[in-house]
Parts: sequence; C-alpha cells; structure tokens
Amino acid sequence: MTPSGTRPVAVITGAASGIGRACGEVMRQAGWRTAGIDLKESGADLPLRADVSDRAAVAAAVNQVTDRFGQIDLLVTAAGYYEEGIDVTDITVQQWDRMLSVILGGTVNCCAAVLPHMLSRGTGAIIAISSELALAGSATDLHYVAAKGAVLGFIKSLAMEVAETAIRVNAVAPGPTDTPLLAEDSLWREPDYLATLPLGRLVKPGEIAAAVYYLATEGSAYCGEVLSPNAGAVI
Amino acid sequence: MAGQADRGGHDKQRAVALVTGAAQGVGRATALRLAADGFSVAVNDIADDGRLTELAEQVGGVAVPADISDPASGPAMVEVIAGRLGPVDVLVANAAAMAMSPFLEAEPAEWWRQIDVNLSGHFRVIQAVIPGMRALGHGRIVIISSGWGVIGHPNATAYAASKAGLIALTKGLGRELGPQGILTNAIAPSYIDTEQLRVDADDAGISLAEMRQRYRELIPVRQLQSTDDIAAAVAFLAGPGSSAVIGQVLQPSGGVTRTGA
Repeated sequence: MTPSGTRPVAVITGAASGIGRACGEVMRQAGWRTAGIDLKESGADLPLRADVSDRAAVAAAVNQVTDRFGQIDLLVTAAGYYEEGIDVTDITVQQWDRMLSVILGGTVNCCAAVLPHMLSRGTGAIIAISSELALAGSATDLHYVAAKGAVLGFIKSLAMEVAETAIRVNAVAPGPTDTPLLAEDSLWREPDYLATLPLGRLVKPGEIAAAVYYLATEGSAYCGEVLSPNAGAVI
Repeated sequence: MAGQADRGGHDKQRAVALVTGAAQGVGRATALRLAADGFSVAVNDIADDGRLTELAEQVGGVAVPADISDPASGPAMVEVIAGRLGPVDVLVANAAAMAMSPFLEAEPAEWWRQIDVNLSGHFRVIQAVIPGMRALGHGRIVIISSGWGVIGHPNATAYAASKAGLIALTKGLGRELGPQGILTNAIAPSYIDTEQLRVDADDAGISLAEMRQRYRELIPVRQLQSTDDIAAAVAFLAGPGSSAVIGQVLQPSGGVTRTGA
C-alpha cells in the first residue's frame, strides 16, 4: 500500500486522547510517521492544533503535513466528543448543529483536504471512526448517534466514488470504549450494562487501533466496510 | 501486530490452528499465513492426494484428511491433533462443497450435500474443538462464509443457504461462547481468484478468462480478491489485534456486498 523504502504517513484527528491517541501510538510503533490534528497538543511526530469543523483550518493543517512529509498514506478521523443523558426534546439547536459540524463536518473536511493528494498519488486509505450506536441506535444521545450514522453513509458512498482507484475508504465502529469521552458516571460504565456484553467489559482504545492498523496495512480488499470491534455490543 | 501465536504466560508452546479445506485456494493460503504468523497448523481436506501431506510438511504441521460431513471426523481429527500438536486454539472453518443449478432442477442429494458439508459438517467440527478451547480458557473460531450467504445468488440456493446458516451460527456462537473467552467471527468473501471460478465458468458456459472479466465488472474495485486477502483477514481474526471483535462478519469483497450481514 506504500512505496517501499519510505516510512508511510498517517494523519490522525483527535490524536491527543482516547482512540486517536491509541491509533497514533500503534502506527508509530509500526514505523509510520504521524501527524496529529487536535484542539490540544498531541504526541504525534507532527502535532497540529486545529478544529476539524473549520474547513480552512483543516486544509491548512493538511498542507503542513504534505510540506513536512511529502505524502499522506492514511487518514484516520477520530476527532469527536460525546454527550449523553439528554432527552430528544431537550437537544438544543446549538447542541445538534455542533455535534453534526464536528463529527460529520470534521470527517468531511478532512476527507476533502486529503483526498486530492491521495488521488494524485493514486493510493491511500481513509478510515473513519464511527460508533456501534450508529448501527444499533441508542437513547438520550440522539444527536451523537445521528452524526455517527451520517458518517457511515458518507463513508460508504465515498468508498464507491473512489472504488476504481487504489484508495480504500472504510469505517470502524467501536463499541463502548474506555476513553475520556465516557464520563466516570456514564451509563456505559455501569456494571449492569457491561454484563449484557458478550465480552462483559469496555473495549480498550488499543483494540480499536489494532482494527485500524489491520485495515490500513492489509485492508485493500475492503470497500465501504464497517469493522466492529465492539465487545459484542452489536452482532 | 501480525500473529502472536505464543500461548501466552508460562507456556511457550506454539498455538495450534486447524484449517479445514486446506488442500487449495483460501484454505491453503490461510494455512501458510498462520504458519508464518507462528501457529502450528493442522490441515484438513476431504482426501489427501499428496497435496495435503506436502502442505503439512511445508508448515511443520499435521495432515488430518477427513470428510467433515461424517460425524465421527471431528472428534477423530481433534484427537490426532491433540497428540501431535496440542489442543486446537484456532479453528478456521473453510471447507466447502459447491454445485450450481437452478433451484427446481437441483438434484436433492447434491443440494443437501452442500448443507451437510458446509453447515452441518462445521457444526460438528466446532462441537469437537470447543471442549479443548474451554479447557484452555480461550479460543478463536473463524468461519469462512460467503458474500452469497449475505446477498444470495441465482443457481446457488444450497450454497447460499449453507453460508447464511454459517453467519447465523457465527452470531449465536459469538454470544454463547464469548463470555468463555472463545471469539467467533466470520468472513464473507465474494469473487476470489481461485479454482472455484472454473465451476462458475462451467455453469455459465463461458471460458475462465471471460468469467474473470464478468466478475470484475460486478466488483466496485474492479479487482478479484486474492486468497492472500482472505488469509490476512483470517490472520487478523486469529491474532491478538481482534480481541474485541466478536460475532462479526468481515466482508473483504471489494465492495460487492455493501451491506451488513
């Protein structure tokens, strides 16, 4: 998937914490060069601070990546945030709009910035982090679920749009994962809920990163796939 | 990240994989890949015309030829493997019988043979390996289903039924065995460049080259998948990177199925 001799380059959003950080660590361990886009400073080789919902800021960040490394082999869109415990009638216009602009808009902005580069090289992989909630639905976090579901529709369609190139577009839909996004009092941390999972536990960020790594390195046969390391939350 | 087949902790013995239908195609590629990832590999097929033994020697494993539709075959294979390599950590349920014919013209024996091998045969092999996995406290069952088991295909009702049955079996086993540390997942490939294409070409009354081209046109990425692509998916599901993947159906099909199973 990458030219021999050069260390491949991954751009990872949300790289400062949780799943994004774990992805960066796994790719670096495997010898990749990493650029991290986050509101906060990340531990990537090239840490870039930008709001993924800001299209111009994302474009500028991606330009810095190509300036520094000369290539982008992988985009992982993990930037996001979570809100739960809100009845559907209480979700405000602002809450809805912000969730859509960060999760869906952030994914779209990053793809729009990276894709021309990948198309000109004729190779690359895009992996969006969605959520098992987008497959199964959920209650009291409807704006998050809608945004993550929209990401899947977007990714499956983009995958088809570039299918005849060597660019592969896929998604990973984690189950409830032990990251800072899940508050200490999150419903997903409750023992009664965890007992309903076949694995009986939260997913670890490294387990999502391992799925991303597999898709990035051996996933050329996947096109619009949704890979679900979810502890059995959705089967 | 690729296979880490040590049996964890104090025991340095290599983990053991059993691959059914390993004489050729996906099964053979899988056996070679798992061996490269550090597994001891037992290889099964319906008969040994020399290829199975040769493969077993190549991977430093053992050949266990058997017709898996025979209820006695599962326990017999597991016993031989236990004696030679140890208990089975990973089962790759790959063997398949396939015949194509319009539904109403299908010979009942030929129709049911596909169910007997693909679905019932693997049900029994799975039954045979579970006690050993339970004793180990872990295990992986990787079931090779098919894109046709997801979306169906004309003139392949028996094959599609058997492969769809395997998907349902995967989901049930995932839920049932997951709490015991045994993870079951499936792979649903679609058009792979193997000798199986010849069966399809004969059914369609065209040449192999024409068959390849016809299939390419059905695949969004315009490429047939290789046996190594499927072997890589098996290696992922058998290896350390998939420890949170359970009851899932991976579809490395170049976008053919484009749906959840």
